[in-house]
Amino acid sequence: MQIADYNSVIIGSQTQISIPGKMIDFSIIMEKLGVLTDAAKYDVACTSSGVDRSGDKSGMGNAVAGGICHSFSADGRCISLLKILLTNECAYDCKYCINRKSNDVKRETFTPEEICTLTMEFYKRNYIEGLFLSSGILNNPSYTMEQIYETVFLLRNKYHFRGYIHVKGIPGADPILIQQTGYLVDRMSVNLELPTAEGLKRLAPNKHRTNILAPMRQIQTGIKSSKDELVVFRNAPKFVPAGQSTQMIVGATSENDYQIMNVAQGLYQKFDLKRVFYSAFVAVNEDKDLPAIGGGPPLLREHRLYQADWLMRFYGFDANELLSEERPNFNVLLDPKADWALRHLELFPVEINRADYQMILRIPGVGVKSAQRIIQARKNGNLTFRDLKKIGVVLKRALYFITCNGKMQYNTKIEENYITRNLLSVKERLPFDKDGVTYQQLSMFENKENWLLPSLEDQFQSVSGQL
Amino acid sequence: MSVQRGINMSLYESSDEYEVLIIVCENTLEGVFSGIYFAYEQKKSPKEIRLLVGEPKELLLFSRILYATPDAVKAQKVIRTICDKFGMNTYYQFCQALATMDEERADAVYHAIVVGLSMKSPMQLMNHLANDSVHKVFCLSRAVNNEILHMKGFLRFQELEGGILFSKIGPKHDIVEFIMPHFSDRFQNQNFMIYDETRKRLAIHPANQEWAFVDSDVQNIPSDDEISKHYVEGELEYQKLFQHFCDTIAIRERKNLFLQRQMLPLRFRKNMTEF
Repeated sequence: MQIADYNSVIIGSQTQISIPGKMIDFSIIMEKLGVLTDAAKYDVACTSSGVDRSGDKSGMGNAVAGGICHSFSADGRCISLLKILLTNECAYDCKYCINRKSNDVKRETFTPEEICTLTMEFYKRNYIEGLFLSSGILNNPSYTMEQIYETVFLLRNKYHFRGYIHVKGIPGADPILIQQTGYLVDRMSVNLELPTAEGLKRLAPNKHRTNILAPMRQIQTGIKSSKDELVVFRNAPKFVPAGQSTQMIVGATSENDYQIMNVAQGLYQKFDLKRVFYSAFVAVNEDKDLPAIGGGPPLLREHRLYQADWLMRFYGFDANELLSEERPNFNVLLDPKADWALRHLELFPVEINRADYQMILRIPGVGVKSAQRIIQARKNGNLTFRDLKKIGVVLKRALYFITCNGKMQYNTKIEENYITRNLLSVKERLPFDKDGVTYQQLSMFENKENWLLPSLEDQFQSVSGQL
Repeated sequence: MSVQRGINMSLYESSDEYEVLIIVCENTLEGVFSGIYFAYEQKKSPKEIRLLVGEPKELLLFSRILYATPDAVKAQKVIRTICDKFGMNTYYQFCQALATMDEERADAVYHAIVVGLSMKSPMQLMNHLANDSVHKVFCLSRAVNNEILHMKGFLRFQELEGGILFSKIGPKHDIVEFIMPHFSDRFQNQNFMIYDETRKRLAIHPANQEWAFVDSDVQNIPSDDEISKHYVEGELEYQKLFQHFCDTIAIRERKNLFLQRQMLPLRFRKNMTEF
């Protein structure tokens, strides 16, 4: 009963706040969009995947399970959703956050109607795949969640939007609000913020671990019971059909990689999360409790965590296989999979034509797709190294670990030092430089005057061997 | 060595069984599938047959050129065989491979069919990557599929007067018919059109109706300036809003233009609002 009443309140209110399309003041919207995008940019999860929904004649939009990236920003991250905050007003004072109460920044708040219009107009022009709505805490968690609910309710029921919606669950909000929002959106996420409860206590004094885990558990049980219902009733409403995700900041507190991986594994196993996102700490505030980091955000560490995360989700690895109490951090030079293989050389070489899928997955240089292709292709005859190359195996990494028809490709040794040396000579393709510094810092190439080109004389000298 | 080659040459000359038969087919699905039917009609080993789309660029020694005329009935028979024997997915992959501009596309599909029909389980044809023709088809189809996925995201509509959404794209491959179903489902109640500027093809989707190609001359598509005069009210503002959004969403500390270019190649940017 309570639910029905709540809906009618919203429907009632929607007639009052509707803005005719042409009366929009674009300069105000531009201002708000700037502030609220800037405040939302540190949120990581911008995926639009996990749910298939076809379009219909009454509404606009569909959803594609694979997700669609619509653009890429200057930092190389995908733009697939309109990622904005409802408001950057915040009652909390988290030390790592740009929007904390004690910061003197420009504050703006979108009305639900403004968000809906923006989403629809952007979506129609194929700029975005949907909406990603997060928010600072306005007044109190329940009030904020109510505003978020109102927005997605309007979007779904007034504007008949059938695209992708991802919202943040606000910890501490009334469970009924989270429940109701869950039926309208595709994905919901509750931010874990920091890997451990101690870290949270130190840097986010207003947030509590239990408050964060409660909605996470609620969403998990909601998803499960919705799936059970769908088995019996085909048209039962779907609750958070694209699943739940979370994110945590890496490098703001002193946790090691082993602790972080264990937390992530716990979340995957105990909370059935779809994804855990890691966000390299960006120092936006100066605070005595925050680490002083030189050389920009710890991008390499973030990259290693994602690699390991992939290994846990798709390659059947356990956190304890990758790291241990004695070796709590990832190797800077080698990716976690190669690192694991080098510590387990007794299992190699693997015979490509006979090994099972799980073992093939564990070979460095073989990805999920190539492993599946190997399994399929070898049904039609023995595979050779040439075939593996065609299938997409990165042979320059894999060749130390595999045999085809009993033979290795070259006369290589199964020996840790030897393989390590050879693997390191092949430069790892990282999305940034080794030290985590991005290409931006190579400014000498932008400035032509400083760019020393070899002169004609130098070229002649190099031919004659004088250089 | 040279002596042996001489002997072989004389062998080729003496008997016409060793000549290569080049079958030239029209650059349409129907043309290629008719060509495949035509190839099977020749009493020759498939090894000695090459299928080409359009005139051969270079002359080949010891070859004979035949022209296959497109025939809807024959093409339909080939398509039915492909679907029955190899499944719909394989047929779809063949069509994707034929949407490329690669010179060997028809030949690869033809030889993949030959391989498939000799396999014990033809349904597994596209998994037989160790075979060169199958691998070629696989690579072509993957290239097209990647561009389809890119285009679903990178395509931009501009709203014109009367609420018509217009988009101009310049894809490498002929992918308009592969992306139209996606947008027709997404924007069922919208009038929109997609114009492929490299091939001068225009596809339209009237609201709540099936999409179709415009058959008549589409040479006189107005220029960008011309189009911008017919924008609906607010169009420019929304373009600016989105540009502002894209600029703001980037984290300065993580700036990485190299990664951006890797993910969003420059060739797409010409027709994108935010660049």
